[in-house]
This record gives sequence, structure tokens and C-alpha cells, in this order.
Amino acid sequence: MDSLFDMRADLTIAGRIAALRLRGQMQYRSSFLMQIFGNFVVNFAEILVLWSLFQHFEDMGGWSLNEVIFLHGLSMVMFSLGDTVTNGVQAVPLLIRDGNFDRTLVRPMSSYVQSMVNEVSLRHVGLLGQGLLLLAVGMATVDSEWTLAKTAYMLVVIVSGAALFAALFTIEAILSFWTVNSIEAVNAFTYGGSELGQYPIHIFQRGMRLLFLYVVPVGFMTYYPSLYFLDKPDPLGLPGFSPFMAPIAACVFCIVVGRGWTFAIRHYRSTGS
Amino acid sequence: MPVTETIISACELTKTFWRRTQRRGMLGAIRGLVDRGGIEVTAVDSVSFDIARGEIVGYIGPNGAGKSTTIKMLTGILVPSNGDALVGGYTPWNQRRQLAQHIGVVFGQRSQLWWDLPLTESLELLRFMYKVPADRFKQNFEMATELLDLEPFLDTPVRQLSLGQRMRGDLAAALLHDPPILYLDEPTIGLDLVAKTRIRDFLAELNRSSGVTILLTTHDLADIERLCKRIIVIDHGRIVHDGDLAALRSQFAATRQLTVDFDETPDLTDARERISIRIVDQDGPRVKVAFDRAIHSAPQVLAIMGAYGNVRDMTIEEPAIEEVISQLYARSTKTTM
Repeated sequence: MDSLFDMRADLTIAGRIAALRLRGQMQYRSSFLMQIFGNFVVNFAEILVLWSLFQHFEDMGGWSLNEVIFLHGLSMVMFSLGDTVTNGVQAVPLLIRDGNFDRTLVRPMSSYVQSMVNEVSLRHVGLLGQGLLLLAVGMATVDSEWTLAKTAYMLVVIVSGAALFAALFTIEAILSFWTVNSIEAVNAFTYGGSELGQYPIHIFQRGMRLLFLYVVPVGFMTYYPSLYFLDKPDPLGLPGFSPFMAPIAACVFCIVVGRGWTFAIRHYRSTGS
Repeated sequence: MPVTETIISACELTKTFWRRTQRRGMLGAIRGLVDRGGIEVTAVDSVSFDIARGEIVGYIGPNGAGKSTTIKMLTGILVPSNGDALVGGYTPWNQRRQLAQHIGVVFGQRSQLWWDLPLTESLELLRFMYKVPADRFKQNFEMATELLDLEPFLDTPVRQLSLGQRMRGDLAAALLHDPPILYLDEPTIGLDLVAKTRIRDFLAELNRSSGVTILLTTHDLADIERLCKRIIVIDHGRIVHDGDLAALRSQFAATRQLTVDFDETPDLTDARERISIRIVDQDGPRVKVAFDRAIHSAPQVLAIMGAYGNVRDMTIEEPAIEEVISQLYARSTKTTM
């Protein structure tokens, strides 16, 4: 499709567009702050649930409360980043349904990047902030030793995880090129995947584990890297390098989804809306 | 006569779609889940034309004729089933992004602007997208604002604009990057007469001063009359006419109309019995007469009417283009049948 050089140029322009739109949004300060606050409150309930869970159980599959908080934080951060980046892409099904997608193809920019900045919103800042908070609390309270290497890899993992969630949201958009109604099933992987990633995977049944490790590799973004971060053994007996699969899994997944998008656009351009 | 270069060239453009057939009844619907039959529909059939730089060409046809499909192929949105096209030197569906930099598009029924943003911000975003240099942008922005009178609603969110305002905004957006080619798909649809006139005047002036090539599809034939010297008529996917508007008129419509103003209301009872002229309308002393130009000339008809009273004033009307076009469609239906 588009060369890498074009992509870089597109992303630069997209960045400027996103900045412009955000600037406009922040003008509505009260609405902006309310959104963030509201988001924060809603997600706080989850933490309460978690806390109350641990009042009844000593640990979760060998994981302490603090360690699970760490997982929660990590998963939330990845999810909110991935969701934010694909705000516009998630609106593509609506564009197609209303017949407004054509204008995307008339402009001198990659259709995907255009879609990304079609809608720019910071409504998940609350979730992101909360996730970071939990992550920090987790990091501060767990027993494991924290090194520079771990911090560096943490950033890699967060980016990988965000990319995975971004790709999952993109899948929903891709499917909308073929179906009229939205595919709610994809939510099972995006929101569901995010939920699942907040808990140590080995407590789940084999089917779920396989699904969220090898089909939608959420497990390689949250659980496995955390084995490394928290110095925990692997009860599933996977190869030793498994905690470091995150960026590779993300790359592969994103390439596949990227191809899917190209295919979807080609389909759209040969069959019309 | 200088040779003007061809800037849009379509050659045997063809587009077929696979239309799923809807089966009737519940049983049919269930069967339809398994066996999705369909028929092949040819929306555009071997369409060829050349448009020179600086032309304003009207592209008209009945609903479903294939106008929008042709435009979509020429803008790079759709990939044709067959045929070639060159627009500004680019093959639209292969070089979509490069071409996009050189075309401006206005879809009358859909806006290019962002719904939730003020008009001025939409224009700014497009500036980034089209990489328009700052000074050029400023110049075009100010010119568009002035010529299209955008000032009063520059800061209004696009969703709050009236149709006419939004259309002007879309025009400004389409021209921001100085494209040499402009596609207009129903640009005056839904507008009141004042708004339509304003847009037509703007387009005429734009073409005159900057030589922008315009391909215009419309159902409003008054748009055509005002702007286009040349029209291409498409029906059922095929071109049925491509040429001068004036030539089309004289070729087709045999009927002309003469409006006669008498000093006093005339008594036309026996005039109504004449077969070679037809009283179309009478409003007191003003009488509209239609006649077959093959039989009478206008002065002859005037002389005939003069027998019924003192003629104070008269006007001759060219055949209504609607009539010309409907005759064209009728003729093409006959040939396809």
C-alpha cells in the first residue's frame, strides 16, 4: 500500500491535526474535566471489587494483592492507550454506514491514519491515570527488586500492549466493511481481554488461557512480562524467553491486522459502499 | 486556435457490481442465507470522454445512470472493472494519493468538513492534510472568505450551519490547495434559488479567472444552463450525448415558445383550434404560444398572433432544457429496447 516514508509523513501531519483538535477540546474545560473525573469514578468501583475480593482470599493463585494490583495497573495503562489511539478508527463503522467514508479516499493521506485522527478525545485519561497509579502502587509494594532493565522493558511492554489493543479495535473497524451491524463479539476480545489481563492467567481454564495467549496474545503483554518484573516462576512451563515475547507478539499481530485493513480497503474500492 | 491539453481522459471505463438478489418470503430469506444468488449489474458501460483544461462540463443523467459511479472512478475511490482513465496525468485508482493533491471534490449530499468543528478549524486541518504553505493558505482562506461570504459563520460548528452555508464551506475546503480540477457532485442540491445563484456565479468566476477545470453532475438543469457549454449525458451506464449544449438544443427540441403581450386581453377562441400553434397559457393580455419550428418561424407566429389584437411586446424562449433532456432519454430508451 503506502510506503514507509509516506507513513512517516502522514503520522507527522496526523500529529498536528490531533494537537489542533485536542486544543479545541480543552477549551471546553469544564466538560473536559468532568469527562476525566467521571471516568475515574467509574473505574474506581473496579478497584473496590478487587479489594473486597482479597478480603476473602489470601492470594490469587499464588499472587498477592499488591501483585494483582500491579497487573491491573499494567493492563489498564495498555488498554487506555490503545483505546485512545484508535478513537477515530472505532468511528469508521459509523462513517461507512452513513456513506461518509468516501471522503477519506479523496484525501492525500493514508486512510488508516486519517481515520485515527477523525476523532480525538482524551476521555480515557482517567483510566490511564488510574492505571499508572495502580502500577506505581504495585511497583512500590511488591517484594521484587526493581532494576533499570525492568523499567526499560516495562516501557516496551506498555507500547506493545497498547499496540495489541489498538489492533483489536481496528479489527472491529475492518469487519464493518463487510457487515452492516457492528460485531459485538470483538468486544469480548478488547474489553474482555483487558479484564482478563488484569488477573494472573494461570488461574483460568485451559481454553481461556490458550485463547488469550495464542490467538489474542494479551497474556504475553501483561502476565508473562510480569513474571519477569515480579520475579515469579512460571506455573505453565513455557520457555524461558516467554516474558520477552511481548514486542514480537505485538509486531506480528499488528502486521496481520495491517494487512487486514489493506484488504478491507481494497474490497471497499472494488465493490463500492 | 490554441490546442488545449486534455486534463481528464476516460477510455472505455466500465464498472460492474454484483447485486445480491433479495428473495421473497420467509422461506426465501432462509434460503438466501445459504445460497446467495445475485446478478451482475453494469453501472458504467464503456464510458469514454476527454475533457480539456479549463472546461466546465456538465455530466447529467437520470437517477442510477452511473454518474456518481463514474465520478468515483475518476477520483480514485472506486477501481473500475475495465477501462482506463488519466486525470492530470495520474491513473486515479492506482495513484489515489498523488491525484488527491490535485483534485478538489464537493459531494453535495455529504460534507468534507468535520461535523463537530468550527468551519475555520476544518479548513486549518485540511491545510495540514494538503500541505498548503502558510502564505498560500492565508491567501486562499481570505479569498474564499470574501468571495463566498464565509465571515459570518467561520466560527460556527459545521453541524449548526445551514445547507447553503455548509455548501459554501465545502467549496472553500475543496479549493484550499489550488487544485486544477474540481469535481462537483450535486453542489446545489437542496439550496434555495438565491444560494444556487451565488454558487453558480462563484463557479463561473472561478473558472474564468483561474481556469479551473470543472466536472459537474447535477439534476438541476439551470446549473447546466448557467455554467456549461458542453454536456455529457449518461443513461443506463452509457453515454448518449457528448457535445455542445446549444447544438443539443437545436438538434432536439422542435418546439419553441413565444410569449406575446397584448394591449388588451384577446379573444383566442378560434386560435385554440389551430393545429400548428398551441396556446400554452393565457394570463389576461399575456399569452404563451408553443409552435413547431419546422413549420413556422417566430416572425410568422407573431404575425398570426397579431391578428388577434395589438401586440405590445414579445419574448422568444429557447426550448426548455428539461424538454431537451427528456427527449434525449426517451430516444435512448428506444434504442436500447
